[in-house]
Amino acid sequence: MRYLTVGRPESQRRDLVLAAALAFFSLFLAGLSLDSRLSITEVLRSSILAPFLGAQSMFARGADLSEQVTTLTIEREALAARVLEAADLELENQQLRAITGLPGRRISEFAVGEVIPGAPEAGVSHSFLFRTRADVVPVTPAGISAPDGIVGVLRTAHRGSGLGEFWTHPDFRVGVRTPTGSATGILRSFLAPGGETMMLLEGIPFQTDIPAGTLLVTSGIGGVHPAGVPVGRVVEEAESRSGWSHSFLVEPIVRPGQVRVGLVWLVGSVLPSQDSSAAEARGGD
Amino acid sequence: METERSTWVWSGFSIVLLLILHFLFRPLFVRLPLAPNLLVGALLLATLHLRAGHAAFLGFSLGILEAAMALEGMGWYALALTVIGYVGARSRDLLFADARFYVFGYLFVGTWLAESVLLLLGTSPPGLVRLFVGGGADALLTALVCGGVEAMTASLVDRQV
Repeated sequence: MRYLTVGRPESQRRDLVLAAALAFFSLFLAGLSLDSRLSITEVLRSSILAPFLGAQSMFARGADLSEQVTTLTIEREALAARVLEAADLELENQQLRAITGLPGRRISEFAVGEVIPGAPEAGVSHSFLFRTRADVVPVTPAGISAPDGIVGVLRTAHRGSGLGEFWTHPDFRVGVRTPTGSATGILRSFLAPGGETMMLLEGIPFQTDIPAGTLLVTSGIGGVHPAGVPVGRVVEEAESRSGWSHSFLVEPIVRPGQVRVGLVWLVGSVLPSQDSSAAEARGGD
Repeated sequence: METERSTWVWSGFSIVLLLILHFLFRPLFVRLPLAPNLLVGALLLATLHLRAGHAAFLGFSLGILEAAMALEGMGWYALALTVIGYVGARSRDLLFADARFYVFGYLFVGTWLAESVLLLLGTSPPGLVRLFVGGGADALLTALVCGGVEAMTASLVDRQV
């Protein structure tokens, strides 16, 4: 195969002029303001490059899906093992409740759904869209959790989808306790000095100390989240003190960016209503 | 005449294919420690067939697209690839492009130089190891891949004629 040769001298001069003009135009582009350069980038990305970007995001989604399948398989296996272990425990619990005359244990009901983060504000997304089956109607506000721990709260719901807030939202609050119940308090999001979003446990009595590494779980008070869902681990005592209480810095177990699937709690309240309590009390008698 | 048309068709097809592969798998190539630079490879192959001015224009266009894809270096990438396109086309004429191993050496040296320039124009300055060892390895891979494509194209053209 033969390649093209230089050509006539006037063609060479024309080529040189064209190359120089393009070089100058390139320098002009480099000197444009950031906004102008971004506008050009956007135009190109939404036109010529759009098919490539679409294909790239499709590949990325495919890779994500295969990763999710692996994770879900591992989780399913672990869950199956725990269910087998729990069968004995459930029977024992029923027998003990029957002996002591307690009513049957109220089993929480959850629905699985997709958590789609909203537009990030300063790099952090505070809100999300939750999508589940169309026949699921959660009583809002309803707690959203992942298998590992608390994710946030669902604020509105309509026909299987709704809007929620991650725990990073400034308005988010959840009642927590230590697993032994030695301390209870209210947890909220907190921007740590390093810029990282952490949690702050407030309202702990002055004389109560919580060692670093202690797991905090939901107390169930308030009826938004079921009791016993892990929330975070205590890191250290925070500097802020108010009156006779002090606060602790808490490392959250679940980060919003990690969550794709969540469980919405459908019971709506952990506290039995007055009527049902009375009825159960009468039944017990 | 037939040879020229056949060369244009097959070379054009292989260059477009290399460019499509580059833009399609760019995120993968960026993540890998060693990867062929199909963009520069395709540009250098195109400069073997184009006049210097046209090669510069192709380099400019590819530079704009690459910058839009990378979200950085708008203007600088275009400048670098314009110069590479022009110099590549001119050097081909000066260095007797029909020599047997010319294309491989041309692709290797051209890609190494281009990679070095593009790395230096990037947002974070590259280390010397990345510049010389990584750049050299990338250039070798590019020369192998694009040189292979060019050899296949040449054999197809020769067979047709």
